[in-house]
Amino acid sequence: MSIYGPYEDTLNAILIDVKQRIEELNNRQVVANQPKLYEHLIGRVKTPTSMVEKCHRKNYPVTTEAALRQCRDAIGLRIVCNFVSDISRCLKLVRQADWCTVVKEKDYITNAKPNGYRSYHLILDVVEPYQDVDGHLPGHFFVEIQLRTIAMDSWASLEHEIKYKHHVKDPERISKELKRCADQLASCDVQMQTIRQLVQEGESE
Amino acid sequence: MKILLAEDEVQLARVLKMAMATSGYEVDTVDNGKKVVDLASQNAYDVMILDIMMPVKSGLEALKELRAHGDQTYVIMLTAMAEEDDKVNGLDAGADDYLTKPFSLKELLARLRSLERRTKDYQKDEMDFNDLHLNSGEQVLESHNSISLSREETQMLQYLILNAGKELSADDLRQHVWGDGDEADNGDVWINICYLRHKLESIQSQTHIDGEKGGPYTLAG
Repeated sequence: MSIYGPYEDTLNAILIDVKQRIEELNNRQVVANQPKLYEHLIGRVKTPTSMVEKCHRKNYPVTTEAALRQCRDAIGLRIVCNFVSDISRCLKLVRQADWCTVVKEKDYITNAKPNGYRSYHLILDVVEPYQDVDGHLPGHFFVEIQLRTIAMDSWASLEHEIKYKHHVKDPERISKELKRCADQLASCDVQMQTIRQLVQEGESE
Repeated sequence: MKILLAEDEVQLARVLKMAMATSGYEVDTVDNGKKVVDLASQNAYDVMILDIMMPVKSGLEALKELRAHGDQTYVIMLTAMAEEDDKVNGLDAGADDYLTKPFSLKELLARLRSLERRTKDYQKDEMDFNDLHLNSGEQVLESHNSISLSREETQMLQYLILNAGKELSADDLRQHVWGDGDEADNGDVWINICYLRHKLESIQSQTHIDGEKGGPYTLAG
């Protein structure tokens, strides 16, 4: 049995459920003639191998309890938006949603990581009709949501790809260029946001 | 600084070269205008000091030829005291400064130091204002966070920082960022002000640019 014990199917079911709830938030916007909330939405249950590795790295015991309670990203969703302001719209709707409670927020957009990483991270507590690791039914489960723009997402893909290469020549230079690239993408995001806002102001005049 | 000196009076050339070398400058000397053009096409100079009256090709002719080829090196002309036309013609042909003979060595060296300050100290690559750090060379703006700037945004912010607290008209900003002859209008000024405002916000800076569309604009901490 994997590190998730008897909960592996449950985690997959919850992932599908939360994904549907977010799709619903988007559908309601579109029906109300608002622009779509996001460009795409993806999700995954962290593989048992990665979860074991994470527990080792964090010095947690390799137990189902640690995987579902101390680690809170067994279930993860990523919302990739067109514009920075769409991230704010998503955040507002998720905070208001009655099917979850936001237990933690990390704003790496206004406080980018030193390497240039930008994203908004949320940890949700969702109540679902499955027994949880503490024996409660309905149970409580953590879900991590990452929100970012397409530009931030492309950058993260590149950084991720480089991070797992074993032999990078001149890593300092590559890090410096990655940081510069992150600043340029942030610049583009702001520029697109500004243009969009100027056009909207022009329409309402 | 690397200097090219063109002076056909051997004695004067030797004294000038020695004085400038002692002040730490690297000096090449030539004795006619043709050699000026030849050397300028091979080496990079920060300053050229050209005597007007020289054999083969005069300093004025050499200067005109350099400027026609797009050479923008800072040029000081050495003119004879009585010849007002030399000064006027020299400046109009693209010279940046002139010294009338006889001149004192002290004055020449002071002018070189002044020029050095202008080019090195006054056009600093990096500037700080309030909670901002602007790196113009890299075109990066930093506060709690960092973001890239375009050429226009960089120059506009640089000018706003140098004149922080003052009301600057849209025309003034346009002149400084785009110069004359460019097709930019005050709408371009406005959109770049908007970009800068959003960028300041995105890096969590408390610094802000005040002013409505059309200007005037003021940078405030």
